[in-house]
Amino acid sequence: MYFVSEVERFGKVAVKAAPYYGGKLEIVPKIPVRSLEDFAVWYTPGVAAVCKAIAADKELSFDYTWRWNTIAVVTNGTRVLGLGNIGPEASLPVMEGKALIFKFLGGVDAFPLCLNITDRNKFVEVVKTLEPGLGGINLEDIASPDCFYILDRLRQEMSIPVWHDDQLGTAGATLAGLYNSLKITGRKLSKTSIVLFGAGAANIATARLLEKAGANMSKMILVDTKGILHAEREDMDELMLKNPWKYELALKTNKAKISGGLPEALEGADVLIAASVPGPGVIKKEWIGKMVENPVVFLLANPVPEMWPWEAKEAGAAVVATGRSDFPNQVNNSLVFPSVFRGALDVRARTISDTMILRAAQALAEFIPEEKLTAEHIIPTMEEWEVYVYVAAAVAEQAVAENLARRPLSYDEEFVRARKVIERSRKVLMSLMERRLIKPLPQVDQP
Amino acid sequence: MSEVVFRKAEKRDIPSLVDLNIRLKRLNEEFDPLLRVRSDIADKSKQYFETAMSSPNSLVVVAEDGGRVVGFIKADIRERTFYEPRMEGNIVEFYLLPEYRRKGVGANLLEYAVKLLKEKAEIITAEFPSLNEIAVEFYTRQGYRGIVSIYARES
Repeated sequence: MYFVSEVERFGKVAVKAAPYYGGKLEIVPKIPVRSLEDFAVWYTPGVAAVCKAIAADKELSFDYTWRWNTIAVVTNGTRVLGLGNIGPEASLPVMEGKALIFKFLGGVDAFPLCLNITDRNKFVEVVKTLEPGLGGINLEDIASPDCFYILDRLRQEMSIPVWHDDQLGTAGATLAGLYNSLKITGRKLSKTSIVLFGAGAANIATARLLEKAGANMSKMILVDTKGILHAEREDMDELMLKNPWKYELALKTNKAKISGGLPEALEGADVLIAASVPGPGVIKKEWIGKMVENPVVFLLANPVPEMWPWEAKEAGAAVVATGRSDFPNQVNNSLVFPSVFRGALDVRARTISDTMILRAAQALAEFIPEEKLTAEHIIPTMEEWEVYVYVAAAVAEQAVAENLARRPLSYDEEFVRARKVIERSRKVLMSLMERRLIKPLPQVDQP
Repeated sequence: MSEVVFRKAEKRDIPSLVDLNIRLKRLNEEFDPLLRVRSDIADKSKQYFETAMSSPNSLVVVAEDGGRVVGFIKADIRERTFYEPRMEGNIVEFYLLPEYRRKGVGANLLEYAVKLLKEKAEIITAEFPSLNEIAVEFYTRQGYRGIVSIYARES
């Protein structure tokens, strides 16, 4: 478990390493440069021939440049981790970290772009102009509800994949965990009553994805800081104007118009997905006791879940998941975004559709064979790196089936390709480390 | 949702009307700080509907679903001193619960109110906050257009 002292220790290492390495990323060429004469090929005059080819057929930009594998991690720093609105400069370390994970787990070249723009329309316009040079966009750490507006518009108006991990990644990982939890407890999604506690980016996106997955929306209940959401709650008109995404869900969910707070919502519920505020003690054991027998409980607040997982178990939960790697069943975005982009980029998808995300969640869930599926193991871990290859192939196949692929590949073709690209990315890093071109981590004094 | 019916408001509707009117005024408040809701809005709303219902020059109609009031319109008949046509039916309050929106219920309720107003008025007008674009869009779709503007200065 991460104790406070341990979080402090990670922080100490990070603060020492940041200036030691000068950040986490650099751009390294991937072509041979034997002498300066080679520049006549890579740069002018040789490069003009490549330019002319692309000018004649813009799709060739995916073959002739790094575009096929390059995305930008774009933020305005308005909601960084749990730190709030700390601005674009302070968000850069997170964006570098995200790009690192993209590269290491998905073989995706990602670079950070921290924009000094808080106006959501201006943000959309600027990001749209980036399209010609990129294979995709990963939005990061943008405050809710602007993040819904920005993602919805960019997904609609751009012809490359646009992703917001706090919404789609979390929703995808949650759904993967839920698929296996339902399998273990013998439930069907369409007949399951689900309570979502917390109505920020993560749970709103999860609710929207659950609808696409075929969940029973009439039985679903969302609970936010003001209590249970329903169509006649006093602040509905305010929501209509300020958070239409939550407003839409209020109209679709909780047809019984149950009011009150989380305890009332949990009465007779099958599943609780909490993505609210750090615990412990946010959710009480007796509330879990109000759920039906063998309930499924996801406690996704970071760094400390809404209640300790053992408390949920003691209260009767059959399956418990959290957002942390030191407990069983980590619902982790990092299981989703590297492989979703791997698959989407390899087929040059025009977008990442909701059904592609559903397919990713299924692939993630099915990666655990039936005989290994237990209440303590409902979702793969990041160490099982093969999972990225499986998910990438599933996503690619789905994109092709939906006619969203500029370059169709079969499942098997993408399986081989994804493995190769991801393996290469790891090998390059290992070899740089072995040759000491990347220096070992500096020592930090132990307390 | 069962069949929504429209009828003239009765005394027993007043508690529901007060609740819906408070929602309406709070919505207006969202559009403009100069429409900040008074603290005694509940009492004022009650008096307002009592007066309207006993006046021959006011009309209050409700939309009812399974015995429950889910929306209302309040309008006044007034004479236009300088203009033709002379008699005006002026819609001053219009609210429908969120669940009943975007389903044609609002348009039907408006049509019902207009039909009753036309018994006494030749021209129908509607008032709402300038910044309420949803209302602008709704009335425009129903064939209405702006004829007067009310401007205010903060101080």
